[in-house]
Amino acid sequence: MTSTVTGAGIAVAPIDFTDRTLPNGLRVLLVEDHRVPSVSINVGYRVGGKDDPPGRSGFAHLFEHLMFKGTKNTRPETIDRLTEDIGGLNNAFTADDITNYYEVVPSNYLETLLWAEADRMGSLAVIEEHFHTERDVVIGEYDQRILAEPYGMLDELVNRESFVAHPYKRGVIGDPANLRAATLDDVVAFHRTFYRPDNAVLVVVGDFDPAQANAWIDKYFGRVPQPAVPIPRVETVEPPQTAERTFTYRAANVPLPAVEYAYHIPAWRHPDAAPLDIVETLLGMGKSSRLYQSLVYRQRVATAAHAGADLREHPGLFSFRAIASTATPIEKVRAALDAEIARLRDELPAADEMERVRTQIASSFVRSRQTYNNIAVALVRSAIERDDPGALNSDLDRYRAVTAADVQRIARKYLTVENRTTIEYLPL
Amino acid sequence: MTQSIPQLEKPPSPGAPNRAELPLPVERTLANGMRVIAFPQRSAPKAYAVPLIAAQLIVRGGASAESEAEAGLATLTTALLTQGTATKSAVEIAQAVDGLGARLDAASGYDAAVVSLTALTHVFDKAFALFDEIIRQPSFPQAEVERVRAKAIGDLALSYSSPSALARFVAQRVAFAAAPYGHPVSGTAETLATLDRDRVVAFHARYFRPDNATLIVGGDCDPQEAFALAERQFGGWRAPATLLPAPAPSTTPAPMSRVVIVDKPDAGRTAIIVGRVGIARRSPAYAAGVVATAVLSGYSGRLNQEVRVKRGLSYGAGAQLIARRKPGMFLSSTLVDHTKVEEAVAVVLDTLRGLAAAPPEATELVTRKATISGGFSRSIETIDGIAGVLGELALYDVPLSELGDYLPEIEAVDPAMVQRFAAATFDDLFVVLVGDARIFGEAIAREYDNVTTIPLDQLDLGRPDAIKTS
Repeated sequence: MTSTVTGAGIAVAPIDFTDRTLPNGLRVLLVEDHRVPSVSINVGYRVGGKDDPPGRSGFAHLFEHLMFKGTKNTRPETIDRLTEDIGGLNNAFTADDITNYYEVVPSNYLETLLWAEADRMGSLAVIEEHFHTERDVVIGEYDQRILAEPYGMLDELVNRESFVAHPYKRGVIGDPANLRAATLDDVVAFHRTFYRPDNAVLVVVGDFDPAQANAWIDKYFGRVPQPAVPIPRVETVEPPQTAERTFTYRAANVPLPAVEYAYHIPAWRHPDAAPLDIVETLLGMGKSSRLYQSLVYRQRVATAAHAGADLREHPGLFSFRAIASTATPIEKVRAALDAEIARLRDELPAADEMERVRTQIASSFVRSRQTYNNIAVALVRSAIERDDPGALNSDLDRYRAVTAADVQRIARKYLTVENRTTIEYLPL
Repeated sequence: MTQSIPQLEKPPSPGAPNRAELPLPVERTLANGMRVIAFPQRSAPKAYAVPLIAAQLIVRGGASAESEAEAGLATLTTALLTQGTATKSAVEIAQAVDGLGARLDAASGYDAAVVSLTALTHVFDKAFALFDEIIRQPSFPQAEVERVRAKAIGDLALSYSSPSALARFVAQRVAFAAAPYGHPVSGTAETLATLDRDRVVAFHARYFRPDNATLIVGGDCDPQEAFALAERQFGGWRAPATLLPAPAPSTTPAPMSRVVIVDKPDAGRTAIIVGRVGIARRSPAYAAGVVATAVLSGYSGRLNQEVRVKRGLSYGAGAQLIARRKPGMFLSSTLVDHTKVEEAVAVVLDTLRGLAAAPPEATELVTRKATISGGFSRSIETIDGIAGVLGELALYDVPLSELGDYLPEIEAVDPAMVQRFAAATFDDLFVVLVGDARIFGEAIAREYDNVTTIPLDQLDLGRPDAIKTS
């Protein structure tokens, strides 16, 4: 395999994948790698929180749970038994634009799991009782993650207040009242609408023979029919924001006051995505990052300070969150954050800081290439969220090309007051 | 949904398993007494090469080497390694680590302090020099000692608020009392308050010496290069003339069946631990113990089946075998509603005794062994994972060939061996309950002998019996 020198002088072999599309529209990406005798199987569907049916916020996530509840051929929890009992694991996640299911199993079980994933793509047979139990589980998850977790609700609020038109405003976890209103008919309709081969990407990474794997994929996935009706897509475009929006919320489980700034940014496939990732790292990654050094370590106005570029299929958000340290008024935390943002706009980052950031980002990129499942998840996300799995192999080049002037340009372009939604999240 | 899929199809059967290709570790000892273990990158056709090198330094003498009065000293000392050296402040260390894109961590357990590093190949030399610097030349600045100590005390309050975490601390005391594994690794608020810089400096000087250390280097680095790197960086480290401190004498109390209740009225649920002193990692019964524990653990394991699936008493139940240089602990645990404590304790005890009374079916062992094999394979998927496994083998004086022998040894465990382990271990069990004792206390006292109830404000993990002196 040839190595390309990328990033901060780092030689990284590209991920060598095959890419084909079955006649029924299923995109199949395979990475053969024999380091360990296991395989990772991912099936990602191009459906997420933004695609929830009207009045059914949180439905994509509820549906993810139901995909474990039985098919025409299998009893509930079959996937769990087919993985855990042979020393493997399985899980799934729902994000704004994607629902991804994955298994990691000893490589001799590849055919078994390909069959099982094709089986639940082709048929789902959930009974009323399981639907009700699982709906309660998902509502319980809402209680746990959103209501019981300190600052859990803040994540929801950021989406809700930052978007005025785009369905990203509903978030992924949804709304318990909407979930309670969901019916088994909704489940049937959702599977029919979105769980179809031409709306999915299958990725297999690991210890297998590609000819053999492809034959199994043709056999089990090839027979899942492609419906003739088109797949509904979100067409809503969020209008540009022209003035700051500010909100204050008070809640019971807020140990210390927090402030969140959320700025609209373009979609992941936009050329500004790489500099936005660089800005995220410069501000927020590690103890040497600007926010930690300034707010947490030197000024001690915050106990934690984060920055994150949430790049999605459609335009997403760049957010800052700082949690005040004890007895620090939130205004002081905001002033410290404002100063860091102003510094980004006014001063070019020094060459050694840029070099450190590029090294950090490249290192975490390489570290994440160590396991089959990480490679598979990265391919699925890149294929669905930016329509280009191969972009993974040029990410390091794009990071390397980001200059100090780009960082300043990005800050001036996106981190503006007019483009910002501000939420102060305070104790009762 | 009603599509042309043939109905009632069975999942295809697995093919023949492929064997893991394991990197072959090699070792040598430097003139200063430091043991060095190196392992190469996996060489398989079409293997994605990760330009990453991992290093780990294991220094024997963790929390089990500290006295009761110094509980938390090993942990505090280790946490301070990254907070200042002869030439760098804490901030400068953080900047250097981030600037190299490295991961550098230090932590302490009962048997050892472990410093671990991963870095990309082209900067590894520099990262390795930094790794050396924090190991050999920490400066333990007074301000950082105070800051880390204050944070440790704060973190304790947080972990005591969780019934499950608190039950672990209590179980440790019930199993080991005043023996070296009895006191909490994290110390107590009282012991931490007495730990000053002098003690930290002395602890570091006593244990951080080349003839008490094992270095592991591997990944994208040929073993000969790794040895050369080790020699260049650590060859000049001289052992002091003083003798290595002798390991603390082990005085593990005899197992005794008893119940210890910590009354925590504000607990949301009751944490249950049923356990006993178990075996050392070097014990010939280790493989049987791992399989017996796997029979009890996991979603399809017996404890979860009995506690969750059949009776709905909890979200989950499982078991753990913690094997160390000296015999560690076997424990099974679950978290239940306060009203279900009596039933759940009985179910857990019956489940353990059931395995002691009759050998498991061979078919049950097949799936449970698969979970062990899968878990082990995943743990060595990464370079730092392999370094971690080798580090444990070295620490526990197990031959490094165990990396390849472990799964065959697990495979060789038969039903009779599992039963023998269970019969020897699931007797004289203790029960620790942390929860609202107003609800279950009386019922437990009626049902079991030898019940001790400790109100939360009387709990003192700094004492062998865990009870405050009045």
